[in-house]
Amino acid sequence: MSATRLLSALRSRIGRDQANLEYKWMTQAASHELDLVAMIRRRLVGEPLQFILGSQPFGPLNLLTRPPVLIPRPETEHWVTRLSQFISPVAHKPLRLLDLGTGTGCIPLLLCHLWPPGAVKATGIDVSDAAIQLAIENAALCGIAASHDDNCNKNTFLAIKANILDPCLYKNPAIQRPIDALTSNPPYISWKEYFHLPHSVSGYEDPKALFGGPFGMDFYHAIADFITCDGTLSPGAVVALEVGDGQANKVQRILTNTGRIKHTEIWNDPWGKERTVIGLA
Amino acid sequence: MQFAQDIKRLKQLKGTESLQNAWNQWNQNHQSLTETTSLLTDADPGMRGLAEDEYQHLSNTLTDMLKKTFPSLLIPPSETAGLSALMELKSAVGGSESSLFLANLLRMYLRLADAKGWKTVIVSKSDTDEGGVKDAVVEFKGEGSYDDLRWESGVHRVQRVPTTEAQGRVHTSTVAIIVLPLSEEAESGGDSDLFNMEDVKVEVMRARGAGGQHVNKTESAVRLTHIPTGITVSMQDERSQHQNRRRAFQVLRARLMDRKLSQEMDERRATRNSLIRSADRSEKIRTYNYPQDRVTDHRIGRTIANLKSVLEGDALEDFMIDLRRNYEETILENVLVEGDHLSAI
Repeated sequence: MSATRLLSALRSRIGRDQANLEYKWMTQAASHELDLVAMIRRRLVGEPLQFILGSQPFGPLNLLTRPPVLIPRPETEHWVTRLSQFISPVAHKPLRLLDLGTGTGCIPLLLCHLWPPGAVKATGIDVSDAAIQLAIENAALCGIAASHDDNCNKNTFLAIKANILDPCLYKNPAIQRPIDALTSNPPYISWKEYFHLPHSVSGYEDPKALFGGPFGMDFYHAIADFITCDGTLSPGAVVALEVGDGQANKVQRILTNTGRIKHTEIWNDPWGKERTVIGLA
Repeated sequence: MQFAQDIKRLKQLKGTESLQNAWNQWNQNHQSLTETTSLLTDADPGMRGLAEDEYQHLSNTLTDMLKKTFPSLLIPPSETAGLSALMELKSAVGGSESSLFLANLLRMYLRLADAKGWKTVIVSKSDTDEGGVKDAVVEFKGEGSYDDLRWESGVHRVQRVPTTEAQGRVHTSTVAIIVLPLSEEAESGGDSDLFNMEDVKVEVMRARGAGGQHVNKTESAVRLTHIPTGITVSMQDERSQHQNRRRAFQVLRARLMDRKLSQEMDERRATRNSLIRSADRSEKIRTYNYPQDRVTDHRIGRTIANLKSVLEGDALEDFMIDLRRNYEETILENVLVEGDHLSAI
């Protein structure tokens, strides 16, 4: 089938305007006509555009994307950009940042990019080998050094394999404490919602990155347990957690109940949903 | 403070350089003329002949200076000479035929930019299925590109038999063009003397349901609204929201700059009783007539036979030169009228 015929099929599937835009982006990425045809075919069966093109812009960065690692979302892009201004670390006095469930590495990498050199030593953990591998590749692509050796002139990012749900996480020697900034976009989709996800999400992205237990709250409880451990957060540390639609108040309460957080606030995403819970130790 | 004043004086001095040069040239020529006059009656016929030639040449030069150089000195230097241009093209009357013509015009301007050595960036462009372009925004980077292109603002009319027309009837369609000044400012966000950040509402366009992890649809469209003026700019061509935002701010800045310039012009007109006509953007400025193979610019009443030479050659520049001259003449008239007023007081 010709690319034009496929385009018209794509239009009836995702709408005319969106199809036209995606067609243009695929055309720009395709090296030849057959390539383009193959791309549109993949898109027609519901594969996310980001996996077909192999990348997703995130702030000024362009990150690699590869199944099944969770694709960076615009909501995340928005709050991380805001966080980069909310915390203002200074050069050559690096703060220690930990990102739980780092996936592509998008959160720590954008902060490493936006903050002055030597302002942050970031560590990202993920339970998936595919995510760790991709995060390492993305760090290299963004020119972020992958070692925390005594180099205060650069921002650094390390991706290591660990599980948020592990009750002994705080004992992991690779995670240096106390932490000055804790970020996470943990899996937060509930059992009930999971069955109503679009095929492009449930059919292509890692369930381990999406499914947050029966009510989507399992990881927030685990993160709260981690925070509660003595010596996890430094005084004045900032915690920033992305939440699903309608979860902000519950997560706010969970954070407050740790007894380690003095102040909390909720940030909306650009579409007006409560998206990020901020806690200050 | 001293420093700022010095800069101001230097600028003034630099600004009067052309006056000084012209005056020096005039005096030199005039002196030569006086010297030559005495030789016109020389005893040597060879010498007399030479002197006559030189006399003729010098008086021509002096007349020329009186007629061209001196009046041109009255035209204030363009305040927009250094600016690049942002051109917005929108198909208007005529549906798909209008979009096809827009594609022709777009090509014409890109060719011109190539010839002029301007760098072009297609900021946004929506293609139609028939091979036309519904609308486009193009950046022309290069000194003087705004001053050259600004007279392209207005309604461009095409008269031809559309390729889609089976009956062979001539249709009339139009494309609206607006050329905006582009200043070299900090690229994204941030306050400037054109607007305050808090006056700009930044919105994302489509609803996303639950959003977040539930949706992985690409969503990068951005709309800016400048609340005090009500100007809105939408940008969705890039996959990167960051990039769309940057470009939307660029267009907003250009529109506000344009507004500022035309306000300044209005003020000047009010105080000086200026003759300069305001550029009415709804006005039909040019007709491209295919059956008669001609392009007519209605403002200067000039017709160029051979339409192809405009669309695909360098005849467009002829129009531009004439338009600029036309503008300079109105400025000159304006200055003279003002002078009359002053001497009457």
